[in-house]
Amino acid sequence: MKMRVRRNEPSKPMAGGAAGAGGAGGAGDSNNMPPVSRRRMSLSFQRTLEGYFFVSPWALGFLIFMAWPLFQSFFLSFHELQATSLSDLKFRGIDNYKEAFFIDARFLPRLKDTLQQNLLDIPVIMIFSLFSAILANQKIRGVTAFRAVFFLPLVIGSAQVIQQLFDQGVGGAVLSRGVNIQELAFQYLGPDAASGVEGILNRLLFVLWKTGVQMLIFLAGLNSVSPVLYEAARVDGATDWDRFWKVTLPLLSPVILVNLVYTIVDSFTDTFNQVLQYIQQTAFAGGFRLGYAAALGWVYFAIVFIILAVVVRVTNRYVFYAGDRSS
Amino acid sequence: MAVAAPVQVQGQSRTQRWVQNRPQWLRDTQVFRRRTITFLQRAFTYIVLVDIAFVFLVPIFYILATSLKTAQDLTDPTIVWFPSGFFWVNYPLAYLAMNYPRSLANSLWISLGAAIGQTISCAFVGYGFARIRFPGRDALFALVLFTFLVPPQTIIVPLFILYKNLGWINSYNPFIVPSFFGHGLKGALFVVVFRQFFKTQPWELEEAARIDGASAFGTWWRIMLPLSTAAIVVVFLFSVVWHWNDFFEPFIYLNRMEHFTLPMRLSVLSPSLDQVTGGQAGDLFNEALVMAAVFLVILPPLAIYMFTQRFFVESIDRTGLVE
Repeated sequence: MKMRVRRNEPSKPMAGGAAGAGGAGGAGDSNNMPPVSRRRMSLSFQRTLEGYFFVSPWALGFLIFMAWPLFQSFFLSFHELQATSLSDLKFRGIDNYKEAFFIDARFLPRLKDTLQQNLLDIPVIMIFSLFSAILANQKIRGVTAFRAVFFLPLVIGSAQVIQQLFDQGVGGAVLSRGVNIQELAFQYLGPDAASGVEGILNRLLFVLWKTGVQMLIFLAGLNSVSPVLYEAARVDGATDWDRFWKVTLPLLSPVILVNLVYTIVDSFTDTFNQVLQYIQQTAFAGGFRLGYAAALGWVYFAIVFIILAVVVRVTNRYVFYAGDRSS
Repeated sequence: MAVAAPVQVQGQSRTQRWVQNRPQWLRDTQVFRRRTITFLQRAFTYIVLVDIAFVFLVPIFYILATSLKTAQDLTDPTIVWFPSGFFWVNYPLAYLAMNYPRSLANSLWISLGAAIGQTISCAFVGYGFARIRFPGRDALFALVLFTFLVPPQTIIVPLFILYKNLGWINSYNPFIVPSFFGHGLKGALFVVVFRQFFKTQPWELEEAARIDGASAFGTWWRIMLPLSTAAIVVVFLFSVVWHWNDFFEPFIYLNRMEHFTLPMRLSVLSPSLDQVTGGQAGDLFNEALVMAAVFLVILPPLAIYMFTQRFFVESIDRTGLVE
């Protein structure tokens, strides 16, 4: 009440003026109309101000810690910069980019390796995390204990710890102790397959260790599927298998997209990523070539961005948004 | 047999009627079959669950078992998992070599500082994105998602220059200050989590508060924030854990050993052991010692997880992470 009275006050003279122009008969109407519209305008304006108030810290941080560095790194990528003082800049044009693609013999092979490895890892992570999320979502006794174990790598799987384990060969060797899978593969499938199997086995443990967040997101998604739908499917005679393909998967498809995006970003910014390690070396270990490192960073970012755009576009076609009826 | 009594309902087909009135012996075998199938399914589920759990637990067993081995145990081919005895001495050595109390304090300072900053700022910003309509909101939110996609390595050079000019190298400001603006390690993700969470909350309380004359900030601080403990706990824990395990940025911004976080200490274990023992690292440094150090590094997060795993496991459902 107090607010309303206060808001009406400044518009009174104007309302009076309008009433005077319109004549005595319309005084009642026009006395009310202008203040109401004025109040609505100022309310939406107030809302806008509040909105900016709430997002302002983020926007400010964005300018300082993201937009400006991004711009500056783009600027640097066309320059030569050896030390961290910006005064001794030397313009190089697109030479940095040319060097990355045509001269540098170390960048492209690493890029290819990274792409190949992620192409292999991402489907494994997705399928495994969906599979274990479905298992961890079963309503059976002791399942929370298993869930707790499944998220362990999330808590302790720091890159340094993984590196130490990796150095000691805790990978395929530990998982397959007792059964020499590499030898079996060598005997029956040939040396090429054996090295492939070895590579997969050695990485498998660490790839599976990266599934914590994805599993969590899938679990949340599975929980949001209404049990009514399962009930309906059961009444209609659907088996568990049918229900997975015709109820769970379509309803989970938005979550799958979210997870896919997360996994792609996560895998491409992984600490063991060779390209990123190379960028870091170029910038800080190998003679402080900061301009060139910035160019490499931009090339890599562009590639990841294109991959994401393609994946999202293609996947979005298969995503089923439940309850999204033109609202 | 706890089977529902056959009930005759009008309008059923002949088959349905027959199924309901089928003879008792058939009923019994069918119940038996169904129970066997359920039992087998359940057993299979448990087997697979145990298998997956094994994948996650085996490295921890490996770390523990190896850390207790003597130098002889390591080379003995008959000893695979269990050491010949409990050789504890690796632990005090690793403790000394890592300068454990100092590194632990460093790790805690970064993780807790950044986590507090991210929790507060992301809750604040996320509320704005979720509940207030203003021009440009969707474009700004698209920017939030965009920042999540930028690899830190793309902007590391300008950031390094910026922090260097500010005199923040070898301090914890590069981790803590951005976190108070809703940035920092995976800040965008936390903004999204809070936005999704606030979107699922009912409007009524907020409207009541507004009608009673509360400001937007007051509504957020006094009404919405106390309701969002589930989201706060999740974001805080994840932020702590991710900062604890972070590796890339600490190595860029911190280059004095006394500033190193616990995980960073693992990469300089051998030289610092040399320092501590006065040049005897050659005899003492082995896999067992490394694993003891690794165990000491994962111990604090493991301990936190023991007490908070309930929140990791359960409250995801309550945060409305997925609409």
